[in-house]
Amino acid sequence: MAKIGVFICHCGENIASKVDCTKLAAAIGEHPGVEVSVEYKYFCSDPGQESVKKAIRDNNLTGIVIAACSPRMHEATFRKACAEAGLNPYLCEIANIREQCSWVHTDKDMATEKAMDITRSMIEKVKRNNKLQPIEVPVTRRALVIGGGIAGIQAALDIANAGQEVVLVEREPSLGGHMAQLSETFPTLDCSQCIMTPRMVEAAQHPKIRLLTYAEVEHVDGYIGNFKVRIRMKSRYVDIDTCTGCGDCMTKCPVKKISNEFDCGLGKRTAIYTPFAQSVPNIPVIDKTSCIYFKNGKCKTCMKSCQINAINFDMKDEFIDLDVGAIIVATGFQVQNTAGYGEYGYGKYPDVITGLQFERLASASGPTAGKILRSSDGKVPETVVFIQCAGSRDPSKGVRYCSKICCMYTAKHAMLYSHKVHGGKTHIFYMDIRAAGKGYDEFTRRAIEEDDASYLRGRVSKVWEENGKLMVRGVDTLLGKPVVIEADMVVLATAMVPQPNAKEFAKIIGIAYDEYGYYNEAHLKLRPVESSTAGVFLAGACQSPKDIPDSVAQASASASKVLALFSKEKLEREPVVAATNEITCAGCWGCVLACPYNAIEKKDIFDRSGRLVKRVASVNPGLCQGCGTCVTFCRSNSIDLAGFTEKQIFAEVMGL
Amino acid sequence: MITQEKYRTRVKELLANNSVKMVIGYKQGSTADRRRPLFVRSFEEADELVLDSNCIGNLAGYLVTEGLLSDEKRVGIFLRPEGIRSINILAAESQLNTEQIIIFGFDTSGREVKALQGEQAGDFSGLIDSLKEKPPEKSSDALLYRIDQMNTEERFAFWKDEFSRCIKCYACRQACPMCYCRRCIVDSNQPQWINTSSHTLGNFEWNIVRAFHLAGRCVGCGNCDRACPVNIPLRFINARMAQEVFESFDHYAGTSQTQEPVLASFNKDDSETFIL
Repeated sequence: MAKIGVFICHCGENIASKVDCTKLAAAIGEHPGVEVSVEYKYFCSDPGQESVKKAIRDNNLTGIVIAACSPRMHEATFRKACAEAGLNPYLCEIANIREQCSWVHTDKDMATEKAMDITRSMIEKVKRNNKLQPIEVPVTRRALVIGGGIAGIQAALDIANAGQEVVLVEREPSLGGHMAQLSETFPTLDCSQCIMTPRMVEAAQHPKIRLLTYAEVEHVDGYIGNFKVRIRMKSRYVDIDTCTGCGDCMTKCPVKKISNEFDCGLGKRTAIYTPFAQSVPNIPVIDKTSCIYFKNGKCKTCMKSCQINAINFDMKDEFIDLDVGAIIVATGFQVQNTAGYGEYGYGKYPDVITGLQFERLASASGPTAGKILRSSDGKVPETVVFIQCAGSRDPSKGVRYCSKICCMYTAKHAMLYSHKVHGGKTHIFYMDIRAAGKGYDEFTRRAIEEDDASYLRGRVSKVWEENGKLMVRGVDTLLGKPVVIEADMVVLATAMVPQPNAKEFAKIIGIAYDEYGYYNEAHLKLRPVESSTAGVFLAGACQSPKDIPDSVAQASASASKVLALFSKEKLEREPVVAATNEITCAGCWGCVLACPYNAIEKKDIFDRSGRLVKRVASVNPGLCQGCGTCVTFCRSNSIDLAGFTEKQIFAEVMGL
Repeated sequence: MITQEKYRTRVKELLANNSVKMVIGYKQGSTADRRRPLFVRSFEEADELVLDSNCIGNLAGYLVTEGLLSDEKRVGIFLRPEGIRSINILAAESQLNTEQIIIFGFDTSGREVKALQGEQAGDFSGLIDSLKEKPPEKSSDALLYRIDQMNTEERFAFWKDEFSRCIKCYACRQACPMCYCRRCIVDSNQPQWINTSSHTLGNFEWNIVRAFHLAGRCVGCGNCDRACPVNIPLRFINARMAQEVFESFDHYAGTSQTQEPVLASFNKDDSETFIL
């Protein structure tokens, strides 16, 4: 005989203001099988929980319903209270009368009626609940970090330094990401590569880090603690173990005029190349699309020049299968394609460049060895105009958000320019100066006050060429006047956007993303480094525009989450898993296909003489995540989900 | 007549050299126009085989009779193109192995019954692909045209009226080659999702659940429609579901024995009209 306890929470005024809790408690007290029906101001409080425990013990309750907020808030709290009172935690159900009732209704009588229905429905369900025991699954103590920029490197180092294994996967031939491309970094103006390369080397040489460059994650299966990952090792055509990185092949390569991606098209590279001089690993790759041998079968100059025979044109892509327990996604960002801004003339005038291109010009390792020179004629520009928010905060071009770093790097660019070109003049068109951060506002003030950057508050409407000058027409909204500036160079503070394949990649890993393709955190404020998928964490600009300190901080936060996960040998999992009815299963395998976790296997059923009778579906409880997709697909209702059985759901529906 | 004789000879040939243990075909029925299934195991029975334009029932469902195929011996069967599609679906859903099935394909769309080239399900893929390319014209049936013109309320009223005659005999299920479940959902009473009594709600629940279970699987053979003792035009519900999955997911039931079920698979280009 069911003895159900119902605990109706006021949630302060959140529920009580729209639901007559006294009336509700009285009505529910009349419901068949209800032993206790009480109300209280905050059942989630300590005294509230104690009263629930006491009621369970005193009345020998067989199940409880907490009529309160969403189960996402406090289901765990009350299940724990149940367990402490000696009742199986899965005999506790939450009737959500806050989010689904009091918060969304205005009429108190009707809301009270609805709260009664919701509560009755859950009483009928809990009467049919079974005792469930948690499932234990082992944890593979190895982390996968995807992306070898500063965020990925930091996360990998933090985990490895704590003694756990890390596999660091980078798509490009070298570690480094965008940070390796930068010249100096705000707000201290220290050289980006000088602080970056020691980290790169440390990651590459760390005994606990397995570095896979020129590699891409192809496939991810499994679940928290037990992911199975397939990685494609793209063929470098250079044997990574033999090559010494002497660079002879690169000097001899006859194809020398390929636009260099690392220099944002401002420099040239060969067909066999390393992206930059300090590449880690310092092993070149052959760019198959530009290499003469791959085009017409002749050349192999690099092969002849290599004294240790490290070059192999027959190399094929290889696959590595890995078991990992946690994944950190640090896939970074791209700069927006500025071609959409026809009015700024990017692509039309060679001296209209993006911020990232300016970084390469200012970088000592860049195509001009750190001199600020115009691409068109190689001259030093005397006047430079910077246009901020060239893409960001512009809904008409599809980017409504602030890219966060541009105010700071534009100020930095103006400073670097004035340090390198004495007497040069800088004008900066801006919408607002957003310099929130340690030392950030001081930095922009320094650009204005010490380095004579002239800030003009307003937008630029058009850039055109006249007599060898770039004419920039904008408006100074503080003076209320249109202005035209003659410039030698225009630098666009281009928006940060997600990687072009971010959405497809999210589907491979199984994480959620926003309208732009930035990866979603589990909770914007309280769980900012976890993805919506357990065991997958986020670091860096793949989540939202971030500067270096933010990326590094988030990487360390993710690493600490991974380490917390690895601190236990086994994970306890909720026993909400599916099970098949082998008698009625027709073996159509629809569930096998429908299961997103590959948790359903085919099982052979034999008779006593060992003859195969039939094959049926069988759920592996270690892999099952309890999503219920198989249940909805099964035509003969031969699969049931523990905790949400057909009987429970039916009773819940009929209880309404 | 030529095809009938040709196939009778071929059936005898296969029986003689033990290539098949049985052939499922048609014989004369209770009236001049009716044909009933015939299970041929001997030469004498082979002489009873009839093949003409009245052979319209889809015999594929007999293949999944429990135990028939478990000895791994081959079985022959007379099938129209939609029957061959049924074989592909049954194979895709692991209910049979197509290598075990010898197909006597025929087409009754012309004046004369025509034999189809091929004996294994895979031999007919070209034919099925060509059928997918030109789905039947919607206006070809007056009633279907009428249903198509109705608005939602009218259509609901129409089906309510049609279903009011349903007596829950489940003849549609018994006749359907796709209804091979060992226990039908309607026979499950813990809980009883589908009301067994023949009132409006129960009738709607049964017929609509069955239509959903056939989404992307129905080949439009019409077995259910002909089996219905109270003449509910069931083929139109299933045809509508077939049209929906075709338009939404480019899914034409039974194109191959590796076709994935439309409701358990997806690809990135699927339309997402239901996600707001």
